[in-house]
Formats: sequence, C-alpha cells, structure tokens
Amino acid sequence: MKILDMKHIKKHFGDNDVLKDISFSVEEGDVVSIIGPSGSGKSTLLRIATFLETMDDGELSYLDKQVVESVGGHAIYKKQLQKEAMHCFGLVFQNYNLFPHFNVMKNIVDAPIRIQKRDKEEVYKEARALLKKMGLEDKEKAYPSELSGGQKQRVSIARALAMKPRILFFDEPTSALDPELTQEILKVIKELADEKMTMVIVTHEMSFAHDVSTRMIFMDQGVIVEETTPDQMFASENERTRAFLGKHHELA
Amino acid sequence: MKKVLKLFVMIMLSFTCLSMFSVDAHAKEKVLTVGFDQECPPFGFVDNDKNFVGFDIDLAREAAKRLGYKLKLQPIDWDSKDMELDSGHIDCIWNAFTINGREDKYTWTKPYLNNSQVFVVRKSDKIKSHDDLKNKIVEVQKDSSAEAALESEEHRELAKSFKSMIKIGSYQTALLELEQGSVDAVAMDYYVARYMIKEKDTLTIVNENISKEQYGIGFKKGNTKLRDEIQKTVDAMKKDGTFNKISDKWFGSDVTTKKMTLPQIMYQLLDGMMKSLKIFFFTLLFSLPLGLFVALARMSKNKVIQNITKFYISIMRGTPLMLQMFVVYFGPFYLFNMPSPARGFAVIFAFVINYAAYFGEIFRSGIASMEKGQYEAAQLLGYSSFQTFFVIILPQVIKRILPSITNEVITLVKDTSLAFAIAYVEMFSQAKVIAANQKSMMPFVAAAIFYYVFNFIVAVLMEHCEKLMDYYD
Repeated sequence: MKILDMKHIKKHFGDNDVLKDISFSVEEGDVVSIIGPSGSGKSTLLRIATFLETMDDGELSYLDKQVVESVGGHAIYKKQLQKEAMHCFGLVFQNYNLFPHFNVMKNIVDAPIRIQKRDKEEVYKEARALLKKMGLEDKEKAYPSELSGGQKQRVSIARALAMKPRILFFDEPTSALDPELTQEILKVIKELADEKMTMVIVTHEMSFAHDVSTRMIFMDQGVIVEETTPDQMFASENERTRAFLGKHHELA
Repeated sequence: MKKVLKLFVMIMLSFTCLSMFSVDAHAKEKVLTVGFDQECPPFGFVDNDKNFVGFDIDLAREAAKRLGYKLKLQPIDWDSKDMELDSGHIDCIWNAFTINGREDKYTWTKPYLNNSQVFVVRKSDKIKSHDDLKNKIVEVQKDSSAEAALESEEHRELAKSFKSMIKIGSYQTALLELEQGSVDAVAMDYYVARYMIKEKDTLTIVNENISKEQYGIGFKKGNTKLRDEIQKTVDAMKKDGTFNKISDKWFGSDVTTKKMTLPQIMYQLLDGMMKSLKIFFFTLLFSLPLGLFVALARMSKNKVIQNITKFYISIMRGTPLMLQMFVVYFGPFYLFNMPSPARGFAVIFAFVINYAAYFGEIFRSGIASMEKGQYEAAQLLGYSSFQTFFVIILPQVIKRILPSITNEVITLVKDTSLAFAIAYVEMFSQAKVIAANQKSMMPFVAAAIFYYVFNFIVAVLMEHCEKLMDYYD
C-alpha cells in the first residue's frame, strides 16, 4: 500500500524553481533517504509533503486518498482531506522545535490528549514507554533547556511517535549535533527502521543512509537525479552522483 | 482567527453598551448641581472631616433647602468649568466667581459680594505699592480674575513692569512658591488671600488694589429660569439676616483651621486612594485582554483591520491621555448632544483604550519575536490556530514581555493622578484639596509615600510573576 504518493510537484520561490516536476512515492515499511547538495530542494519537498509549504502544481495522496489535485496547471488543496491526512504523518525538525514552556512529558502527551482526545492514562503509559525506548526515562520532568541537543532530538522523535503516525519524516535530524550525539540519534532511527516504521529521511550522513535505507533518492537543482537501492546508488555510473558522493563512493 | 475577531467585536460592543447605562443619573428628583473649585477656601473647600464647606457652599445649601432642591456639590477642575457648564454636568458656578470681564459669557445673578484683586507679598520685601513690583516675578492662577485684570488694557503698564508673570494651576501652590522665594508676588482675590495667609506670619497683602470686582452666581447662558429662582432666594436670605450670619461665620476674625496630624491626613487621603486603586485595577483588567486583541488586529492579514488598528494606536500614543479623557467625557455632548458618561466610567474608559494601545504594541513585539518553528511544530501536531496561539505561543510571549509590562504598570500607577482633569478626585487631587485646607505641604508628602508604597508593591508582585515564569529558559 502506498502511504505517500507525490506526482509532478512544482514549486518556485520568486525566480528560483526549487522543485521541477518531482514524483516519488513511499510504500508501507519503506525507509527512503533523500540526499543531495544544499539548495537542491530536499527540505522543500519534505515541507510540501507535510503541508508546511504549498506546491504550485502537482498531485499528492496519503493512503490512496488524493489531497491535492492538479487543475489547469494549479495545485488545488482539499481542505477536509488535508485535515484528515495531517494525522497520518509526523515530522522531526532539524532544530527540534520543542515547546520550551512544557516539560519533556507534557511535550509528548499534550497533543495526543488535547488534539487526538485519547485516554489520558493510556497516553501517559505509552509516553513513558517511548521515553524508556529513547533512554530518557529519568528526564520526564526536565525542561527542554536542561537537555543536550541529542536528548532534545530524542524527545522530539518521541513527541512525533506519540501521535502514532503511519509515516515519519526527518528533516536533517542530526545537522545541529556533534558526531557523538549524531550517533545517539542515528541509533534511534535505526531501531525504528528495524521495527518497520515507514520513514523519509533527508540527511547528509551518507554511510548511515546506506545502512538504514531500503531506497535512496539523489536530488540536485530541483530534480531527482537518481532513485535506486543504496548499494546501486553508491555504485552509480552517473557523473553527478559520483561527484557528490565523492569519498563515500568507496563505501559500496 | 475569525473566532478571535468575533470575540473582539463582542467585547467592544459590550463596552459601548456599558457606557450607555452608566450615564449620570439625572433622576426625576429636583437636583441643583453646584460646581465649585474645592481648593478655594473660605468659599469652597474640604474640612478636616471630609465635608465640603465654605461661604458659598453654605449659601448654596441654604438656597437649595428653601427651594426644595436636592443639592449636589460637584468639585470641578477650574480649567474645564465652561465645558462642565455647557454640557450640563453642573447647573451653576457658585464659587467666588467674578462677574467683571465675564458679563456676556454667563447668565448672572446680581452681585452678592464686593471683592478686589490684590497682591500678596512677603513682609520682609517691604512692597507697599504697585511701583515696588517693578522687576518682580508675579504669579497668578490660570483663567482667574487676577489674570484677566493684569492682562486688561488698564493694567498693561503695570504688567509690563514685572520681570515676568507666571500662570499656575492653584493659589495654594502659588503661595507656597511665594513663601519659599521663587516668586515675589501672587495676584489673587482679596477674600481668598485674607483667609489663606491668616496663619502665615511672613506674608501680607499690598494695600493698593489691582481692580475692584463683584462676585455673582453664574449660569449657562440663557438659563434665566433657574437664575431667577436662585436670585429670589438669595434676596430673601439677605433680608432675613441669614446671609449676614453665614458671612460672619466665614469672614469673621475668629475663623481658623485646626491642624491635622499625618495619620489624619492619611485617613482623609483614603477616599482618593480607593479611587486611584479603582482606576488602576479596572484599567489593567480591561486593557490587558484588549491589548491582546489590538495586537492581533494590528497583525491581521486584512489590510483594512490592520490600518484601522494602526491609526488607533497612533492616535492613542500621539495625543496626551488627559486630552483623551476630555474627549471621552465631554465628546458625547459636544459631538452628538448626548449625556456624558459618569466621571469614573469616563476616566476608566479613557485609560483602558489608551493603555490597550501600549499593551497591544508590547504584545505585538512579543508575538513577532516567536520563532516560526513553534508554529510549525504545533501545526504538525494538529493544533488549530486558536490552540496554537493560546497554548503554545501566548504563554511564551507573556514571559518575554513581562519586563515591558511591568514598566507600563508602574507608569499607570502614576498616571492615575491625571484623572483630576475631569474632576475625578483620586489620590493626588485629594492631596491638593487637603493642602488647600491645611495650607501645608504635608498632604503631598503623604501622597508621595502612598505612590511609592503602591509602586513598591507592584514591583514586588511583578518580580514574583517573573520568578514564577522562571521555571524554563
């Protein structure tokens, strides 16, 4: 079953065509890594998939329900379906965006209780389990400002997971972290992959992307240059891909 | 966002309704509202027991009794006496009110007292005549008969010979300045002067008059019906000796004021204090939430709402609060010929719309300082824009703007004293009134203590609030 299906996505900022006719889809259980140089449109693609940005033209479906359709060269959003689709994905930001005035626990449980109106006790129970999984069981009452960057990012992953998304997006989740903390986060994502969580990860961690992904996408200048398995990606004959992967090329 | 705007409109509407209902109750009962300057002993002032007393007050009381009116004594700010009279807040001015020079401005009774304008000087300066005032600094009360006399054609040479002529709000302050030497002479009514310097050995009255004049009771131009009623009664009082009795009581040689102790002064200030507190609390109660709506309207994507709000803010910040109070209080009458709102209501209304503009800009700066990521995270988790604002954004904004809010709140404590402009007798006006009765600076010291303590408490409370929000960075 296709969780996400994006077709012919176009987006420009001023004179700059950020996305030029991008199409890709994500099956259940897929772990898709998107790599590419800065400014290639990776983050914009994620932001369009999560409705933080609107596309100019294209089609978008979640769980086979078409949320955006293309009519006469313009993207038309269906508000009601968009609202429903909001529930099937989560996003982990590069800079966490935790709520600083909520403690760790409240950051995780507030939306499930307030928005999803789920049973309070059950949500707390699940949240504790998630924190344990993230190795943060002793940080329940801490405020975000008291945590390290790696801990903050783990809380933000827990916050996204607490909403029980069908697909989880990561927008450069380790870019703000030092190598040691980066490993913490990558370990968590790896565990999620092992549990068959459907994920789309925008990242610059090449070897990690190779290890964790079922599929890799290389983007440059608003187009998808290559989309293939990790092994084939690293063995690519494409000049642009080879140039970008550089020394990582040998990894394959 | 639409919900927020709806709420905003509803609050504004209920505010307007409130203003309709709280107009001065000119009930069916016959009421005579007498306007007077309560800092003008012995004609009208406040005694040690907080009653309005004085020569004119006694006359008015007796006249009202004889005519079957319920007497309402309304202290006014002398500067706005014409607006008070025109708009019907008061029926007459009965308060050492000089006819000369104002003959055509009011409908007058016949004169009931002969007065003159004189100079009060320090004994030690040995000023005996107008010639001795050459190159001296002379002070007069604004909009008073003494001012009018010195500015008339007749006294042009005399006024020119002064080093300078200063205009000030009250006799009381003028005499204090004279005593401590910053001015050399005060031009004022003979009777008022005689009463006020009775216990000040250092001051004396120059024998040479500036001008002779007569006191009358002034009514709104054309109100001859009420004038005739009062005239008849005053004539009767003169005939049966009541007038003379009252005159002896206030102008006889044995009239003195008992000195009050500081605790007594404080006790008297209590009324004013309560009114200052009332302005303070109601202003905060309404202007803080209103300020939030102002900020939201100011940041609205709708250009019309945005520009209207911008205009409102620029008016509120660009004109004095005192002027805004005049508009709120006198505006309904002058613009729409409608009755004016109650004084207390007008004060609070003006304060609320003024402070809401300032708070609105503070809220706006706080909201603008919030990171975009907070909105995005909330949107991703499914918070509605309403929930995002009140659950995620506002609590953080409040923490950020608390220091600026504290500043405004402290300014508000001090601004409450502006309410005197429409004769709402709060703390500071009350202090001036007692100072007039007591002829001393003590009430101002007491007032200063009050303001300081009040602000001290406010500062401590706000600091406590800041600490409460210190649980996160």
